[in-house]
Amino acid sequence: MMETSTTPIWELRDIIIEAGATDIYKCYQCGKCASVCPWYQTEAVNFPTYKFPLAAQLGRIASSEGKEELAREVEEVYRCVGCEACVEQCPQGVNIPNTLRAVRRILVDYGSYPDTLKPVVSKIHNVGNPLGEPGEKRRDWAKDLAIPLFQPGMEYLYFPGCFPAYDPRLRKVATSTAKVLKKAGVSFGILGEKEWCCGEAIRRAGAEKIFQEAAQSNISAFRNAGVKKVVVTSPHCYTTFKNEYPLLGADFEVFHITQLFYQLIEEGKLKPHQLSQLPELGEPNDSKSQRAKDPIKVVYHDPCTLGRQNGIYEEPRGVLKNIPGLELLEIGDFSHQFALCCGGGSGGLWLDWPKGERMADIRVQQAIETGAKVLAVACPYCLQMFEDSVKTMNLGLKVMDIAELLAESL
Amino acid sequence: MDIVVCIKRVPETAEAEIKVDSSGKDILKERLTFDINESDNYALEEAILLKEKRGGTVTLISVGPPECEDTIRMGLAKGADQAIRVSNEGFGELDGFATAEILKNTIQDLSYDLILTGCMATDDGYSQVGPTLAELLGIPHAVLVTKVDLQDGNARVERELEGGLLEALEIKLPALFAIQTGINEPRYASLIAIRRAAAKEIKVLNAQAIGLERPTLRTRVENLFPPPVGKRAEILKGGAEETSKRLAQIYKSKGII
Ligand code: SF4
Ligand code: SF4
Repeated sequence: MMETSTTPIWELRDIIIEAGATDIYKCYQCGKCASVCPWYQTEAVNFPTYKFPLAAQLGRIASSEGKEELAREVEEVYRCVGCEACVEQCPQGVNIPNTLRAVRRILVDYGSYPDTLKPVVSKIHNVGNPLGEPGEKRRDWAKDLAIPLFQPGMEYLYFPGCFPAYDPRLRKVATSTAKVLKKAGVSFGILGEKEWCCGEAIRRAGAEKIFQEAAQSNISAFRNAGVKKVVVTSPHCYTTFKNEYPLLGADFEVFHITQLFYQLIEEGKLKPHQLSQLPELGEPNDSKSQRAKDPIKVVYHDPCTLGRQNGIYEEPRGVLKNIPGLELLEIGDFSHQFALCCGGGSGGLWLDWPKGERMADIRVQQAIETGAKVLAVACPYCLQMFEDSVKTMNLGLKVMDIAELLAESL
Repeated sequence: MDIVVCIKRVPETAEAEIKVDSSGKDILKERLTFDINESDNYALEEAILLKEKRGGTVTLISVGPPECEDTIRMGLAKGADQAIRVSNEGFGELDGFATAEILKNTIQDLSYDLILTGCMATDDGYSQVGPTLAELLGIPHAVLVTKVDLQDGNARVERELEGGLLEALEIKLPALFAIQTGINEPRYASLIAIRRAAAKEIKVLNAQAIGLERPTLRTRVENLFPPPVGKRAEILKGGAEETSKRLAQIYKSKGII
């Protein structure tokens, strides 16, 4: 690893800085970042975040000559899930995920990155989504709901993102969302085939060129359709649309779906009814009145990209609190800005770490310890990561998107 | 031990949506990503492992347009010492034999103990270049090689046969081995090696330089088309429950379960 040699390689430092690691010299090695990094919570992994800024200063990241050493180093560079827990805590304003992304960019340019990520990048370039599904099918989720294509004059473009558009499980999130929006009388349409992956995950995995291509494709599709306001299901689409696309020429407002839901509730356009039971929960055989009395215990997980990275903590909670019959719980020390990442960001969704190295396993355990029956999420990646963990760990916890819970209560 | 590795830049087609272009003889490539051909990557790794053990040099050769140099540079970054790109300009359509002829003309002037190729290109799937090149150079060869052990002047190799059998051969060097995937674990390129590779010169040769104006074209692609749906194919429709029930019925009726 980096310990093997500390002789500086200045030219590598220079190209790492040039690729985007601009704040590495601010680090004063306090180690605060490591204490909040989710890898710190896993049993099997030692991931000392604080060494990366220094290693970058020395040009000593992913620079081992030995094959095995290098494989470990590249794996390490790809461990960071971009949760930005470290960024929030760093007293010096160092951005470690950014530093590692700079290294990833160079690696990706030379095809020197994990094989599991390569098809993801290829498929986005090929058909515009990481699942490799044809563009013509991007609208299929909306078939039975008669959702119109976006027309000028409509207020919102609803952008479900790739997984809610294609994945059989995640489609339920998109259909629930559309049902809620219809019920509230929101004027909205979709782009269907013209919608392209937002590119956020592969950008964080280092595939900058394909990200740029995806961004330009969406920016011009939105512009051509006359879109002014976009509402998204995924916090990953949200953050890249809001914070990154404007630098590439985008000119539209973006809302996370929980923001719009909350606004609609506040305006009285949505009136959730008592949610007395969830069909999926397999409630025990007690009497109806009993069930009605006991609220359904729901714990909310803050997606890193929505909470820490964009400060959206209260709207998702506001939606849940307004559903009668739900009791909203918190994961004590690990909620709001201290929420533990699901592990799905920055390419993590596809990296498939072995047992003992999965953040989601720890997170669902934390959720179940609150006594919750439902783990509510507001991100398609979180939903997939947590459902996988719940299945492999055989836990009695239902993972649901806020849109699904809300749709259930209308 | 001087090793020549022949590599090919191919479009990633395994999971991609493939469309035939207007000529009807090729596929549309603008929405595809390109990489080193899978088995060539294993051949390259094997060459580097052999070099690490026994010293010597690894020379990469690729026939193709300037874009091939991206793939070549990746190989240089993984540890190859030098590289040649034979420009395909003016050659027109190439089949397996013609490519082997070009490679033969390029390699015959080099000093080498071993030539490694992949066992099959994932784009055209010909599997011809390796063996044909060996024949043209008059050296022995083995295909689908899954193990290489070098002794002085000889190589012991294992190759895959049908039915899960392996064949062990002793072959006199110089020889050519067409490497099967899975023989090793291809490495990453380190940042420092990437840096060095970026500065390395790739020698570009043209038809004249290798003394071959017109390679012999013996096969010509007439037409590319998706196979017609077979009569025996039945596409199951409906939800998971319905389709799995139907599938189980079919399996039972055919005596599979
Ligand atoms: S918290 Fe910031 S300053 Fe402290 S070690 Fe981490 S990156 Fe460096
Ligand atoms: S972004 Fe998250 S995973 Fe990456 S180093 Fe920071 S805390 Fe760790």
